[in-house]
Amino acid sequence: MATQTLIKSLKYLFTTPYTRLVPRKVKPFKTEKIRGAHILDMNKCTGCSMCQQVCPAACIDMVQVEGNYPQNPRKRFPRIDHSKCTFCALCVEYCPVGALSMTTRTGYELFTIDKNTTLKSPLELCRIEGEVTVTKEDFVVGITPVKLGEVPLKRGE
Amino acid sequence: MEGRNTQIVYFGPQHPGVPGNIAFKLWLDGDRVVKAEVIPGFLHRGFEKMMENRTWEMNVTLSYRFCVEDPDHLEIAYAMAVEDIVNANIPENAKWIRMIQAEMGRIASHLFWSHFIGGSIGLRTPAYWAVTAREEILKWFGRIAGHRVYHNLSVPGGIRYKLPADFKEHTLKVLDFVEEKARDVEEALLKNSVFKARTRNLGKLTSEEALMLGVTGPVLRATGYKYDLRVNAPYLNYDKVKFEVPTGSIGDAYDRSVVRFKEIYQSISIIRQALEEVKLDEPLRIKIGLTIPPGEGVARVESARGEYVIHIISQGGRKPYRVRLRSMSMPLLTTVVDYILSKEEITIADFPVLLASLDPCPPDLDR
Ligand code: SF4
Ligand code: SF4
Repeated sequence: MATQTLIKSLKYLFTTPYTRLVPRKVKPFKTEKIRGAHILDMNKCTGCSMCQQVCPAACIDMVQVEGNYPQNPRKRFPRIDHSKCTFCALCVEYCPVGALSMTTRTGYELFTIDKNTTLKSPLELCRIEGEVTVTKEDFVVGITPVKLGEVPLKRGE
Repeated sequence: MEGRNTQIVYFGPQHPGVPGNIAFKLWLDGDRVVKAEVIPGFLHRGFEKMMENRTWEMNVTLSYRFCVEDPDHLEIAYAMAVEDIVNANIPENAKWIRMIQAEMGRIASHLFWSHFIGGSIGLRTPAYWAVTAREEILKWFGRIAGHRVYHNLSVPGGIRYKLPADFKEHTLKVLDFVEEKARDVEEALLKNSVFKARTRNLGKLTSEEALMLGVTGPVLRATGYKYDLRVNAPYLNYDKVKFEVPTGSIGDAYDRSVVRFKEIYQSISIIRQALEEVKLDEPLRIKIGLTIPPGEGVARVESARGEYVIHIISQGGRKPYRVRLRSMSMPLLTTVVDYILSKEEITIADFPVLLASLDPCPPDLDR
């Protein structure tokens, strides 16, 4: 019994460390579908406020931006507070035109010592560095069920 | 309780021996703990109330945030409860993937637990191997769901994200890795004489006592009582897979540990069976509108800690009228600890081991 354990321990003695030196050696852990900072396509956004409506952390405000955006007559775009955001991607999923996407910019890359910099204006959101990972296409669109059951009041009407 | 020889010690929430953000007020007689009073509230956010103020789709992101170790079952239960209100039949494919998600969560939770119990005994080395295996599962979740700990994968209606093309191969690879690591940890932890000496005959419960205290999950099964919602009241597709319900015999801390490790292997076998049924090109989600008609929905799932119940009342509209959550950590941290202390001689050194062997999740109690 004890010898078995010893053999196992010896095996681990000769393995390399599993942990990673963040941030000195490597970047934060990333996958091809990681949900990081948002990127906004201002040429697509219509200013419909749907992203603001579904945000569970209430971190999206609609702000006005000057410029030539024909698809957005009121020129209102989302401004996202990254210190409040939970990176749930609901805004990406529910945006009707797919203007919002998420990038690989995550982990300590988002840390800041100045709280005033967490509020990302629409223009800043356009310029987020990092590869785009999650877009509207990555969400499964629901098929409409053949028949969504009868819905009477159940149990203790 | 205050006598000449009784000493009061505050234990936690910053103590490595407590399983998270919770404190205890302990009455000590010598080094024997005679009474413990739980001091909750460090993580209280009022989740039930918060869920009443958020819309149905927002609540998915809220439903799992009070248990870091095992969020998947909470998320799945919420989705199932909403589907129960509208009587929706989700695609079979989504059910299989939810099962894979749930069992992966259970494995990760049990592996993390072995880190806690290893830490409370002082056997940290095998526990680090367990965390390696858990890390591999978290990376798998990172690929499938986008985040490592809070996944947001099951939503009312089915599965939210498209699956990667190599979903099956990747999952099988992760399972092989996890199984190998779990066997190593089991060997080094459960067969260790120090572990045995510290956990045998500690915190014994009989089946009757466990039932009286309202306990389910591995703590109840360790007493020899075969009760598992996946078998006794199957949800998703658990009635279509073959697996055993591991039980213990005397219900002490050692039995609980054995049961948890056996459950890891059963979960691995369930995932392997479920993987064969997953069809990557078939639908994963049905459309459930943004408003839910009036009605009531209940979902019960067997989470890693025991039975988790969620009850939602809808009066129509965009938000639930009332959400009620019931999880296992409440009895584990209050009545069970009290009962064991009143019956058994537990020293201050054994108290963290007892807590870790019950595997509670304090935020779950606070909410
Ligand atoms: S990711 Fe979630 S929390 Fe962040 S802005 Fe979008 S909806 Fe809000
Ligand atoms: S980002 Fe999308 S959801 Fe948000 S305002 Fe623009 S178009 Fe609407």
